[in-house]
Amino acid sequence: MTFIATFYSHFGAIRYQRLCQSKGYKAQTMPVPRNLSSSCGTCVKYEAPEMLEDPTHDEIEQIVLCKEDGYECLFRAENS
Amino acid sequence: MTAKKDKLTIIIAGLVIGVIAAALVYFGNPKNMGFCIACFLRDTSGALGLHKAPPVQYIRPEIIGIVLGSLAMALGKKEFQAKGGSAPMTRFVLAFCAMVGCLMFLGCPFRMILRIAGGDLNAIIGLVGFICGILVGVLFLKKGFTLKRTYKLPTAEGFVLPVMEVGIFALLIAAPAFIMFTEPEVGPGAMHASVWLSLGAGLVVGALAQRTRLCMVGGIRDTVLFKETRLLLGFIAILVAALITNLILGSVTGTPYFVLGFDAQPVAYNDGLWNFLGLFLVGFACCLLGGCPLRQLVLSGEGNTDSAVVVIGLMVGAAFCHNFGLASSGEGPTPYGKIAVILCIIVVAIIGCANTFRKAE
Repeated sequence: MTFIATFYSHFGAIRYQRLCQSKGYKAQTMPVPRNLSSSCGTCVKYEAPEMLEDPTHDEIEQIVLCKEDGYECLFRAENS
Repeated sequence: MTAKKDKLTIIIAGLVIGVIAAALVYFGNPKNMGFCIACFLRDTSGALGLHKAPPVQYIRPEIIGIVLGSLAMALGKKEFQAKGGSAPMTRFVLAFCAMVGCLMFLGCPFRMILRIAGGDLNAIIGLVGFICGILVGVLFLKKGFTLKRTYKLPTAEGFVLPVMEVGIFALLIAAPAFIMFTEPEVGPGAMHASVWLSLGAGLVVGALAQRTRLCMVGGIRDTVLFKETRLLLGFIAILVAALITNLILGSVTGTPYFVLGFDAQPVAYNDGLWNFLGLFLVGFACCLLGGCPLRQLVLSGEGNTDSAVVVIGLMVGAAFCHNFGLASSGEGPTPYGKIAVILCIIVVAIIGCANTFRKAE
């Protein structure tokens, strides 16, 4: 399955990408897709059997599952 | 939206914006200044009496239009969301510094493109400084720079800046005695297209920039970070469209709109070092802010109060620049302006370090 995680900072995305790669998941940083958000931050697109959470940091804004007809939001930070 | 369609959209938007920007000069705006977010915020600050420089006082409807155009598009597409709380005071200071850089160069990154499209080679040196500033900012981003997260706010909070812009527009129309306007022939503040044309141009640019996320800083940043050229294409499209429009206007009217060279360029000077350092500071500060002045206006229209604070910081910075003799003129930079640019580069570097290498809280 393909997931996209968006972040409050660029470094948050880099750290998350490293986490994905440490688990053996294919992950790349890229600009947030326009049809996902109007904000212009950095996201991580990764392939994994399930959503990867990172409770050690509060940099994740949201995680979505990529589907053929759009995105399904699986996680959204509180008050975001 | 596919990546290809996405790129086509931003190219078309950039072409439209470039034509509008060049055409505004034909309709009365200063040469190579169809749009300049820094200059127009500075003019508005002056009209509101925040600075007392008679040549640059006018409420620019383009600014109001950009915020309201973005607001309308964001509301229409259900993307308006009030949010903020990400280091607002730090953003204010970064914005202040960015304005010091803009008024050293005599233009924001948007005007830099328009100056290049008008043949002003000084702006090429500015562009090199701008890219260098962004590269330094990118280094901080890679090392861990963050201004921390934003939070959802009550919806009314996101409307404050757009409502203020409506109020400022009412002051332009009503023109009470306490609003100051540059007298004819006194300076660039007296040169402007008609109110409704300027407002309309701003509305279109604001709406297109919201839809495409157009950003002069983002174009270079994304190319460096991800080899993603989408935003850069918008940047290039504006340049190409403004250049072609200038050439057409020149041949049709007989008045030169494109004059290649370093000397005697409109609202510009030819000291390479300070053109470079001015936009170096802008690139550096705006990279840490996450977007150029145009992008900050657009985000303000979407309900982002952090960006609204940046807009206020830019206006206050402009007022200080003119009250304390920091702003350059066609004669060149001022001694105080040079000192201010150096100090601001140091301040931005300190902010960069403090928010990159701080201990976990």
